[in-house]
Amino acid sequence: MEFRDYYQTLGVTRTASADEIKKVYRRLARKYHPDVSKEPNAEAKFKEVQEAYEVLRDPEKRAAYDQLGNEMKSGQEFRPPPDWDRGFEFRGRPRERAAPEMDAQFSDFFSSLFGGAGAFSHPGEGRARGGRDHHARVDIDLEEAYRGGVRTLELRRPQAKSGGGVDIATHAVKVTIPPGLTDGQQLRLSGQGESGQSEGRAGDLYLEVHIRPHELYHLDGRDVMVTLPLAPWEAALGATVTVPTLGGPVQMRIPEKSRAGQKLRLRGRGLPGDPPGDEYLQLSIALPPADSPKARAFYEQMHRELDFDPRAHLGS
Amino acid sequence: MKSVTRTTETQVLAEGEWLSVTQVCRASQIDAAVVIELAELGLVRHRGDEPREWQLSVSELSRLRTAARLIRDLGVNVSGAALAVELLEARRELESRLRALERCVDLSARGE
Repeated sequence: MEFRDYYQTLGVTRTASADEIKKVYRRLARKYHPDVSKEPNAEAKFKEVQEAYEVLRDPEKRAAYDQLGNEMKSGQEFRPPPDWDRGFEFRGRPRERAAPEMDAQFSDFFSSLFGGAGAFSHPGEGRARGGRDHHARVDIDLEEAYRGGVRTLELRRPQAKSGGGVDIATHAVKVTIPPGLTDGQQLRLSGQGESGQSEGRAGDLYLEVHIRPHELYHLDGRDVMVTLPLAPWEAALGATVTVPTLGGPVQMRIPEKSRAGQKLRLRGRGLPGDPPGDEYLQLSIALPPADSPKARAFYEQMHRELDFDPRAHLGS
Repeated sequence: MKSVTRTTETQVLAEGEWLSVTQVCRASQIDAAVVIELAELGLVRHRGDEPREWQLSVSELSRLRTAARLIRDLGVNVSGAALAVELLEARRELESRLRALERCVDLSARGE
């Protein structure tokens, strides 16, 4: 296991005051918060910062951490000395947790020192208590949202051992993704949250579905948008072209005199549902490159023979 | 580390569904007072008379949770979080439209 230098993570000195630590944490949390940040690796950085703050904001934990030694460096091989936490009271005490959802995700280094259970374990509660509901986010591709499918999710969950320590148990849960889910939709899996204690009923697992951005399609609710490039003559004269849809390519009639920026609709070709979404094709006109004498001659002929002023509406 | 696979019924919470404040608090581990305040600010649609008896629209559960995370992790207050959630949504929408437009321009420029 590697030693983690929490002071280095926050960029503060070992003598930093509680107030200073809090200020630095707030600044870094805002910079790396996964809901807000554009930084690469924001989520990983945010977790490191949270873990460091979780220890350094609590005077008891900080004192215990400090006595591990000032000599340790980040990344150095580390084993906690036996009874290292003697005289401190945080073990087994239900902690006020900053982030229950993230609990299971703190480092092994953190778990070996402070236990990993946090809000998920409640030592000393003998009476029946219902398990809490848990949350997870699941990212799916647009194709999967369209067709549906079955996903196996690995859920890591801390479990209190009889001896007082903490084990991480993994559960695989099979989730049926029905066709036609939209971005941000919620799924509920009954009884897949935290186990109940004694006779208590297990909590539910809520999944928030996120659809990954797609290379081709832009999603708006159940509707999908695609940019459809046309040759100038296809737009001018009309044409039948093959266009992609989520269900596979289809033939589509482009009316004559179509213009760039116009939207054509394919009814019912979006995500399935009641009613199903539509597919919109936003037309763009692609110019053939003037990269050969023949092509140049063609453009020159158009210039001579067509009375066309693209800037007529700007006035002269 | 033990591993077991469990299969379970998946229930889709449809857009038209409503959850009670208690259910939302259980689901999202948010304080009821915060949920009510966020609903009062219009971040999530609600129906019913007494705040504690309110029913909340499932469609906005994800906004509610983002707001709760911002309150918890960044120390912003409820109005600040509601504002941030709305601005984040507006930003995401603009980025998505910008991507679509950029692709449009890019395709025309390449003459494909």
